[in-house]
Amino acid sequence: MGKGKPFLEVLASAIHEDFRFPFLELFAFFYALGTFALASFTAILSAQITTNEAVAYSVTNSLISGSLIVFFILILKNVAYGLGSDLEKGIIQTYFSYPLRRRGILTAKLISAIGVSLLLFLGIQISALYILAPDIVLPQFGTVILTYVANLSYPLLIAALMLLMTLKLRRGGIGLVVGIVLYVAMNIASGIAFFVAVATESPLAFQILSVISPTYALQYHYGGLSGVSGVFSVPWVPTLSETLLYTGASYVIVASLFVLGYIYFSRRLNL
Amino acid sequence: MSLIVAENLAKSYGRVVAVDGLSLTLDEGSVTGLIGPNGAGKTTTIKMILGLLKPDKGVVKVFGQNPWDNPAIRSMIGVVYEKAFFPAHQKTLEYLQRVCRIFGVSESRAMEVLELVNLQEASDRQIKALSAGMLQKFAIAHALVHSPKLIVADEMTANLDPQARSELLDVVLQLNRDEKAAFLLSSHILPELSRVCDSVAIINRGKVWAFGKLSELYEKYAVGIIRVSTDSSYALEAEIRKLKYVKGLESDIRGISVRVVEGKEDELYEDVPKLAKKIKAKILGIETGSASMQELYRLAIGAKERK
Repeated sequence: MGKGKPFLEVLASAIHEDFRFPFLELFAFFYALGTFALASFTAILSAQITTNEAVAYSVTNSLISGSLIVFFILILKNVAYGLGSDLEKGIIQTYFSYPLRRRGILTAKLISAIGVSLLLFLGIQISALYILAPDIVLPQFGTVILTYVANLSYPLLIAALMLLMTLKLRRGGIGLVVGIVLYVAMNIASGIAFFVAVATESPLAFQILSVISPTYALQYHYGGLSGVSGVFSVPWVPTLSETLLYTGASYVIVASLFVLGYIYFSRRLNL
Repeated sequence: MSLIVAENLAKSYGRVVAVDGLSLTLDEGSVTGLIGPNGAGKTTTIKMILGLLKPDKGVVKVFGQNPWDNPAIRSMIGVVYEKAFFPAHQKTLEYLQRVCRIFGVSESRAMEVLELVNLQEASDRQIKALSAGMLQKFAIAHALVHSPKLIVADEMTANLDPQARSELLDVVLQLNRDEKAAFLLSSHILPELSRVCDSVAIINRGKVWAFGKLSELYEKYAVGIIRVSTDSSYALEAEIRKLKYVKGLESDIRGISVRVVEGKEDELYEDVPKLAKKIKAKILGIETGSASMQELYRLAIGAKERK
């Protein structure tokens, strides 16, 4: 018996459940809608963008903004609701009767819950970028990748936190509520950080936020490059190295939380 | 060879002690019943044996290995949980074929096991569309896909109608006889266990109160049982109960089972007809009988309680 077979079968089973009709079709439609119809190019057209990197960032960012919420909803559904109900009902218990390590079962569930959602998201996004702005995007591929990496950090952080909560409480509903609260909390926190930064003329609040959501560092990095500034602007133009550092730090946190989830699932989870 | 060796297992949920110093062995080819009242620790014991729960104390070995996160031994174990859950939106046959691929057995085995539990007509049905009884049958088919050497079942016949129960017990006997499969069966339905089990572990308050071959347990706990068949059970039962050497008494539709102090059997044979004559009851039969599993269970629990 091949070693990979039980893993692939459990993965196929998980994908079958997570993306059964009409979820895959529905979310693919929303991704396409968010990417093609809800992308906002207004800021790019009105801004005096001076560098190619900043243009590539702005185009990519505007495409992401419409469908990142769809990605977020999909991982909420799959991680909190999907994994949570599998734990609650005993389907994970059934998987535990197969010749597969616990970490293999969790990996299969996470690939189905997050990996497939991510593939769907990136597939539609990259197609859109290629169709809409090949001349701008292709020469600045590094900037495009960095923009995606920075934007995905916070949803993945929420996914990791939801995973931990779901494993600990074995109630998908609570993980779901926490995920939604965290998503909304970040928007509120960024608003507060903006006022604090303007009032104190210090970017500290945004620097702290950038550790968990490096999209702010990226935004101010390219904002500085493009020369965009309003009446109230944050006095912060991080360098590319700093931006990369914030992005790296955020992924260290995300990875640590997932590792914690794996350790708990493999060594501690009693069913 | 012992397939399961559990030594001094203990497990608590907060302040609630579920299992407290439980030891148990299950030999190759045996059919062992795990009986006990609700909350006795049966399911917790089974979960520790299957590596779903980590014991707080003690050691459990299945096929000589620690069952926690051990894929190697899972190929040799079939599991039927008390509440069976499977990915709901997949079809029964398709899911079992997937399980065949997981265990590396021919996909034709999927239909074989469905037929074995009389579920072939539901092969095209989604798992979520199965009734509780059908789901239980499906769980049993699922456990048999890879022809395991050991089948651990927690309330395997729950939700099944009497005919399906009977057929399933035949399957247990057949697998045990033909494929030498060992079974650890937890059940509340004691007559079923007495039909298929050769050993029994009586669990109460997280401990094994009695464990051994059925014949040994009957010898130990159920000596001095005499069965009295009569047309007037209730009246005669009241009279027999007054006899000083009667230790215990139970009535059912078959008659009265009387347990007497060892050596007093002959006295009961003499006294019962006299008592029957007194109350004008008719004695249909009187014989030295063997205890039912139910009686054995009560006797063993009772003996331990008295200690």
